[in-house]
Amino acid sequence: VPSQTAASPRGSSGRRHDGRPFDGPSLRDGFRRARRTIDRHAAWLTALDAALGDGDHGDNLALGLRAVDELLDELPKATPPGELLRAIGHRLVSAVGGASGPLYGTACIEAGFQAGSAPAIDLPLMASMFRAAAAGLARRGRCAVGDKTILDTLGPAAEAFAAAVELGAGAAEAQRAALVAARAGMLSTRPLIARRGLALRLGPRSAWHLDPGAVSCYLLLVALAER
Amino acid sequence: MTDHANRLQARVDELEAQTRRAFDDAQRQADALFSQYQLSQLLASGGGPSELGSAVVVELTRLTGAAAGAIWLGDASQPGIVRISASGAFEEPPPETFDGVDGARRWADGRPELTLLVLSDEPPATVLVLGSGGSALDADGLRIILLARHEIAVAFGGTRLREVLERERAELGAVVDGTTDVIVQVDGDRRVTRLNLAGERALGISAGTAAGQTCADLLGCAVVGDHADDGCPFGEVLASGQAIEYREAAIRGSDGTKLRVGGSYSRSFGDGTAIRATAILRDVTAVRALEQLREGFVATVSHELRTPLALVRGYSETLLHLELDPTDQRRYIEHIHQVSARLTDLVTQILDVTHLDANPLNLERAPASFLALVARLRGDLAMSGEDARLVSNVTQDLPPIEVDAGRVGRVLDNLVANALKYAPPDSPVVIDAAAEGEWLVVTIDDEGIGVPEAERAIVLEPFHRAWNVRESRIPGTGLGLYICRRLVEAHGGRLSIGDRADGQPGTRVTFTLPLLPGRHRPVPATPASPPAGASEAIAPAADAAEAVAPEAAARG
Repeated sequence: VPSQTAASPRGSSGRRHDGRPFDGPSLRDGFRRARRTIDRHAAWLTALDAALGDGDHGDNLALGLRAVDELLDELPKATPPGELLRAIGHRLVSAVGGASGPLYGTACIEAGFQAGSAPAIDLPLMASMFRAAAAGLARRGRCAVGDKTILDTLGPAAEAFAAAVELGAGAAEAQRAALVAARAGMLSTRPLIARRGLALRLGPRSAWHLDPGAVSCYLLLVALAER
Repeated sequence: MTDHANRLQARVDELEAQTRRAFDDAQRQADALFSQYQLSQLLASGGGPSELGSAVVVELTRLTGAAAGAIWLGDASQPGIVRISASGAFEEPPPETFDGVDGARRWADGRPELTLLVLSDEPPATVLVLGSGGSALDADGLRIILLARHEIAVAFGGTRLREVLERERAELGAVVDGTTDVIVQVDGDRRVTRLNLAGERALGISAGTAAGQTCADLLGCAVVGDHADDGCPFGEVLASGQAIEYREAAIRGSDGTKLRVGGSYSRSFGDGTAIRATAILRDVTAVRALEQLREGFVATVSHELRTPLALVRGYSETLLHLELDPTDQRRYIEHIHQVSARLTDLVTQILDVTHLDANPLNLERAPASFLALVARLRGDLAMSGEDARLVSNVTQDLPPIEVDAGRVGRVLDNLVANALKYAPPDSPVVIDAAAEGEWLVVTIDDEGIGVPEAERAIVLEPFHRAWNVRESRIPGTGLGLYICRRLVEAHGGRLSIGDRADGQPGTRVTFTLPLLPGRHRPVPATPASPPAGASEAIAPAADAAEAVAPEAAARG
């Protein structure tokens, strides 16, 4: 039985981790898993959105990831991960209805810029991509952590990932740290009063509902992290 | 060469800076676009002015990086502009109202830390004030607000309008639900779309259950059989568009019985799925019953008055114009006397009915002896010599009753007079009474023509006489039994007409009277032998019995 490390024939210039290297094909796999995950949870996301927003988040995101799937089929196999992320981002901006399209799109595009044209991505680069995604989303959405948005999940996840990498953690460990932080961030949106988006209208009544964006962000991160 | 290399490096730096600027510009534009999009989404999300106001103020404050923001909105119903929302920390609290856009400008003029944006000076005027909190406001954000200011003003105007419409709708709903008329609305397929509170009550169905039913199902047209499907007034107005000003129909009431309703039917404007037909119906069952009563009254009274008056007039004319011998004269005068007695009875009964319909009927209740009431009745009958026909099985040991003795006396008078009137001459009329629980059950049996079973309930209504009685040509107003029933019911008792217990032809009238609570001791029938310790409470009954004596004495 070949070891996990040996399972990947695509040796890269990036550092070898305890897992598959983060490259184009693994990114494609990640987004295909994301599509299936969001399909499974679309109804739940839409129900969460019905309480706070306009009740279409799950369906919008499912449609957007279907469009991403089609895009991945069109792109050449050798497309480097940075370029893939930028293309995916642009597709998300146009294909996902509502505010979440431009926000997720921005996050992908910003991460793609950070990756440049590197064929594979090592952990420090990954950490800076993660942070760039969170910063881009915060700037575009004019939001901060605690506003009851996607950023409540993405921000802490990026910080935890970067901190773990700086402390010398491996890929699996850094991912675990990111997901734990993401989950805590998602759950932290429940008692919050919304300060951004359509939930603003509800004022104090927006408290005690999970933010659908924070939930979908957690689902996406889990899907992308799976190996 | 170094010089050349330096120049090349400078050129590269310049190009890189250009690229960065272009990139930053693109980012800013994208940010602004997204902000506009989010603002538009918020503005389009509806809600009331204060709800939208607080959301928009938070959004705009964030957009400009301001420390505080507040928004004022004009209202057609009052002068000036009213603050609908404020957020963040102002150096001094912003006023609740301004007398107008200029007032807001004057207030903001002396306060350099504030930025005032007039989003609309057309009514309803919309004014936004932002507090910078020391640092300059974000120029991009301000630009976005100015670009979107018409959109913001229109959104607030819309919420104001929606608020007014909602209020009007609520008021209209209150009128529709507050009315005592039944309001039913159906769509083009004659399926119910609306039923008001009065309708829910009259039909015994909730508006939710009624919704979607056909009008025929809801109103029970098939059951009460008022009209065929092609006679449906809803169908008629839907087809013709012509309102029906007034039409009566039968519908099925909450207890399944037929209700007579009358009212208007109209069709709303519009066509296709928006078409509605509305009926405003009033229960006219009581009105129709009253009309029937009045007709019966007029018919009976005119007949019963005219016949004896014609007789009086005939006899008196004979007396005036003919020379009659004294025997005949006396006979004629006796006729006039009898007929006038009938007229007196009739007038008394009509007055009785008028009093019965007075609400509430005041009873003068006091303890009384039923035996004494029978004794007094016998005294009255002695005057006409009919007392011999009255057979009383009422015993001495009955407990006292608590009644209005005068009124129960009238009941006895009426019922016994009826029995005597409709039974063969010399046949007996039997009165019996027994205590049952809290009630005294009284029966009066005669050997008369009886009341047909089908008419037993209806003869207890005013102006109704059984057909066999009408055919008998015995005069009567159709009021006697009604008066008896009402008086017994006023005491809490019941009166019914049935067959005699022994199966012989004739009538048994049964009624109940309340016993004196807590007393089961017999009351003496005559004052001659009051039992020791008879309380004062039973004195009136003794008086009633005593009253027999002078009358009997007067007759000699």
